[in-house]
Amino acid sequence: MVEKMAVINRSAPTILVIDDEERVREGCRKVLAREGYEVTIAESGEVGLEMIERRHYDIVLLDLMMPSLSGFDVLAHIKTLHPDTVIIVISGYATVENSIEAMKRGAFDFIPKPFSPEQLRVLTKKAIEYTRAMQDIADEKSRMRVLINRLTDGVMATDSQKRVVLANPAFLRMAGCREVQAVGRPVGEVIRYEQLDQLIDRALAISGDELVELTEEICCEAEAGQMAPILKARCIPYIDRAGRNVGTITVLHDITTLKRMDQIKSEFVSMVSHEIRSPLNSVLAQMKIILDGLAGEVTPRQQEILSRASAKVKSLVTLSSELLDLARIESGLISQEKEQLNLSDILEDQVAFQGAAAQAKKISLTLEPLPKLAPVIVDRGNMEEVFSNLISNAINYTPEGGRVVVSAAMESGYLRASVSDNGIGMAPEDLSHIFNRFYRIKNDKTRFIIGTGLGLAIVKSIVEAHDGFIRIPCPGS
Amino acid sequence: MSDKQLILVVDDDPDLVDMISTKLEANNYRIAKAYDGLQAWEQIRQEKPALVILDVMMPKKDGYVTCIEIKNDPNYKDIAVVLLTAVVDNLPTTSYTHHEGRTTPADDFIPKPIDLDKLMDIVRENLMR
Repeated sequence: MVEKMAVINRSAPTILVIDDEERVREGCRKVLAREGYEVTIAESGEVGLEMIERRHYDIVLLDLMMPSLSGFDVLAHIKTLHPDTVIIVISGYATVENSIEAMKRGAFDFIPKPFSPEQLRVLTKKAIEYTRAMQDIADEKSRMRVLINRLTDGVMATDSQKRVVLANPAFLRMAGCREVQAVGRPVGEVIRYEQLDQLIDRALAISGDELVELTEEICCEAEAGQMAPILKARCIPYIDRAGRNVGTITVLHDITTLKRMDQIKSEFVSMVSHEIRSPLNSVLAQMKIILDGLAGEVTPRQQEILSRASAKVKSLVTLSSELLDLARIESGLISQEKEQLNLSDILEDQVAFQGAAAQAKKISLTLEPLPKLAPVIVDRGNMEEVFSNLISNAINYTPEGGRVVVSAAMESGYLRASVSDNGIGMAPEDLSHIFNRFYRIKNDKTRFIIGTGLGLAIVKSIVEAHDGFIRIPCPGS
Repeated sequence: MSDKQLILVVDDDPDLVDMISTKLEANNYRIAKAYDGLQAWEQIRQEKPALVILDVMMPKKDGYVTCIEIKNDPNYKDIAVVLLTAVVDNLPTTSYTHHEGRTTPADDFIPKPIDLDKLMDIVRENLMR
């Protein structure tokens, strides 16, 4: 698609030759037409201007010295009508001063008479390349503008002086701007929220070699009768080739609905917790009192039935606790606090932390010597959760005397961390379900291992919230 | 006055209060009952208990507040307080976090669902101090 567009744009360049000398006009036409350009000629400044008013030319070859309308006048007209037309001045008897004056007024280059066809070809080619490069930049700019303006997320860029360089309509609306004309003005005048202003200050203060993304939740003012919108603002310093901080890019994402849903879910979960678990707790206590014989004598058969009922109720209580856990973790994923971290530290801490559990099971838990790992932008708590889950899983599902190895390396721009064990392994049919909530592999080997079936589901949601992926490479090992 | 020690049981669920009381009575304690923090204070003023078993989530005045009030009152701060907490109630949106439980000046904690035998151990230990 893009290729096709490029071809259409690259139709034969159009050239207009304005010169009162027929010899020069015709000479140029011949040479340039042979190059495949579409050439038009004009014998005077007036005729040339008429043509220029009618249509756009990529290049105009312009004689400076013409009777009546001079080349300088034509030049000025072209510059107003078609600023992007490339003008090459043909300077007759010309003094260099004249040509320099023309270039000061916007001519691209000059060619002194008499000139050879080769000179003309080289210069025109150079002009065409230039005009194409300009065209590409213009295309790219307009494509970018359309793209950015159509985004539903707000986008704003500032320079290092904290002036607005670019702001799309979504941004202006979300940031509460009343003025449409934001470009060139100080950020403080354009946005209404101090929090956002400070976020940009912080991003501007970041030096070039740090890799960061600052995020913040901004609670906006509510409009009459509406819920106050909540925005997630991400601010990234923009670093130039020399590593200098030359401005910021801010992206606003409306998370009002997400937050509201999260709140409803939390309330619901909380309700479940209290309204369902409390009665279950009393039921358990009531059964216990009967079982203890404090409400009269109990026959062995009654004792047995009550014990079983009691175990069932306990498992219901556990289930509700697990649901609460999951809800808590998931709501944590919506508002992450990402920072630049070295994962080595987290891996070392987690391996050290789980050491005791491994030792208790006589499992050798080791961290392979780590290569230099590029810093990653992550939520620290989330990462700890991931590795704590993976390592404790490995320990839980590896028999005594086994080994668990943690390693990490850089791999095509990603950081790969792995936890491997020589434990009971996994059947291929379990692989597709292993990351599902509450899925637990049920067989002789796992029957007595206590687990919630939520660990890997949590790990997966965290990894995906960090734009990463997780997989189990070799089933059965 | 008998020589049995008085224990105040506070929970908004009458059934649970009833069961904990039955178990305590079987273990030779005297019982007072309350169903929220305000009633708990009425009972405490009427007769000072040796120990209070206090639920955290209660209407009117919750367990944490009641516990802090008891421990800040020179006349009553020597009463042992055992909080009933639900470990999993540490949702970011609720104020009943486990962390908060750890920083309140309670003498002991027992998680819900309550193991009545364990509760008896905790009561015994705290009354021996």
